Amino acid sequence: MTLLALPPPDTAAVSAALTETRVEVTSGFRGARIVLYGAVFNPSRRPSDVVVVVRGPERPIRLVRKVRVAGVWLNSRPVVFEGAPGFYMAASSRPLSQIAGFGVLRRSAIGVDHLRIEAPQEQRTITSYGVRDVVVSRLGADYLDWRRAVIRLMEGNDLYRVDPQGVRYVDRGLFRAEVDLPTEAPIGRYETEVWLFQDGKPVAARFRPLTVEKVGIERTLYEFAHGLPWLYGFACVLLALASGWVASVLFRRS
Amino acid sequence: MDLYLPIAEVSVNAPLLVALGCLVGFMSGMFGIGGGFLMAPVLVFMGVPPAVAVASQANHVVASSASSVIAYSRMGSVDWRMGGVMAAGGVLGAVFGVEVFRVLRLLGQADLVVALSYFLFLGVIGALMLVESLQAVVRRRRGEAAKRRRVRHPRWLYAWPLRLRFPRSRLYISVIPPFALGAFAGVLSAIMGVGGGFILVPAMIYMLRMRASVVVGTSLFQIIVTTGVTTILQAGRNQTVDILLSGLLLFGGVLGAQLGARASTRFRPDSLRAIMALIVLLVGLQMGLGLFVPPADPFAFAPGPPR
Repeated sequence: MTLLALPPPDTAAVSAALTETRVEVTSGFRGARIVLYGAVFNPSRRPSDVVVVVRGPERPIRLVRKVRVAGVWLNSRPVVFEGAPGFYMAASSRPLSQIAGFGVLRRSAIGVDHLRIEAPQEQRTITSYGVRDVVVSRLGADYLDWRRAVIRLMEGNDLYRVDPQGVRYVDRGLFRAEVDLPTEAPIGRYETEVWLFQDGKPVAARFRPLTVEKVGIERTLYEFAHGLPWLYGFACVLLALASGWVASVLFRRS
Repeated sequence: MDLYLPIAEVSVNAPLLVALGCLVGFMSGMFGIGGGFLMAPVLVFMGVPPAVAVASQANHVVASSASSVIAYSRMGSVDWRMGGVMAAGGVLGAVFGVEVFRVLRLLGQADLVVALSYFLFLGVIGALMLVESLQAVVRRRRGEAAKRRRVRHPRWLYAWPLRLRFPRSRLYISVIPPFALGAFAGVLSAIMGVGGGFILVPAMIYMLRMRASVVVGTSLFQIIVTTGVTTILQAGRNQTVDILLSGLLLFGGVLGAQLGARASTRFRPDSLRAIMALIVLLVGLQMGLGLFVPPADPFAFAPGPPR
């Protein structure tokens, strides 16, 4: 009986951890920086790439376009885009287009150009020339302009970011990436994805959840305002009347 | 010192907001206006979402108006009966206006209607008041007697039924014109996020011809009721009132309002009106001219809920 010489495992793997998995939004919240550390196990010595993607909770986005009518700039009818994450970051060690092809990136929604942002109310499927389910957009040829505007405006608010130098190797196989959450970052559950690419294909992935939540007085007030909105409104008015009265009493004495 | 606002979900500079509240409160106490038309643009500029800015400042207007009404009522210059009739109209107008505003936001036209309302109302009223008050100032300087009003009882105002005596205002008129005026101010309160004082004060002086000394106090009383109802409706229907934001604003606002009510006795009413007219006119022009400036980015996020 001969001992079979097993070939070394050829599968590459990646592991990662966040320095914080819960971001607390308190009254002093001014955004947060979270560091992601990870390691690449790459026995095959084939070159590999790491892509770190952070997705915030999805929320619909309403967009208008300014149109000039008789010298005055007016808003067009708003278009609702669905599927847009409230926060999105894609960090890598080199540009995404060099790491993988269009189809691969599109399938995993990696990179702002591959987010599944759609305006369902503006699209309908029809049957034309015997071909079923042709998607027709009422936004017409401008559709790409609208979609790009969503991304441009979100990038302007630091909510979307693509950083081709965002993943840095600190030691052999050990990398880090920084996640900067702005103050406007939405509350909710985030998903952190760490992808390992080889030869333009994803070979391994790790998913780490991240929660952004209000705590303390911020949370109490938010829940009061949304849970008992009418009572909250009364409380606000009473507070206003009381402070007006207190001020006038104080000033009469002085 | 920065503070994170739980409803607006932005971080703001707290002392700056207190100072802003104080400044607007001062003008409120001095001119009898809510000052909302000044505050909303500044808050939006600071990064507060417009819907939250409009709703939270309505609550600030409640506080600073309450503070000044108490000061004015001690001087006996609030006509409670007239204010009550106008406030009843104001409540009706606010309920209607909040619903109109919801529809406008869904259509994405809220920005346009707000800008146009500011341009139209502030521009026209500011210009008219400025001309009138400057004429009065000039006449006073020349030592001429104030021009007598041509008609003491215009038909269109006195032909209505349901007449009531308003001793403080020295009027005996129908309740319909003040009720309608209050309702109109209520609609504006919801749409523009203001108390409506800049409409009420001139209308009470030039249309209803109330005694000038009770105009400011009565207008403020009507504003309390209208903005109080607006706050509750905005909180209940849209959840856009940020108690921390309005708390910061009203802390400064009540102080400013007291100082303003005192300072107002040191100036002549026509000079006061001229200053107020100038401010109203400038804000109106600034908002309106924005419609003609080509936007930096043709696309913008639409305010309002994506429902």
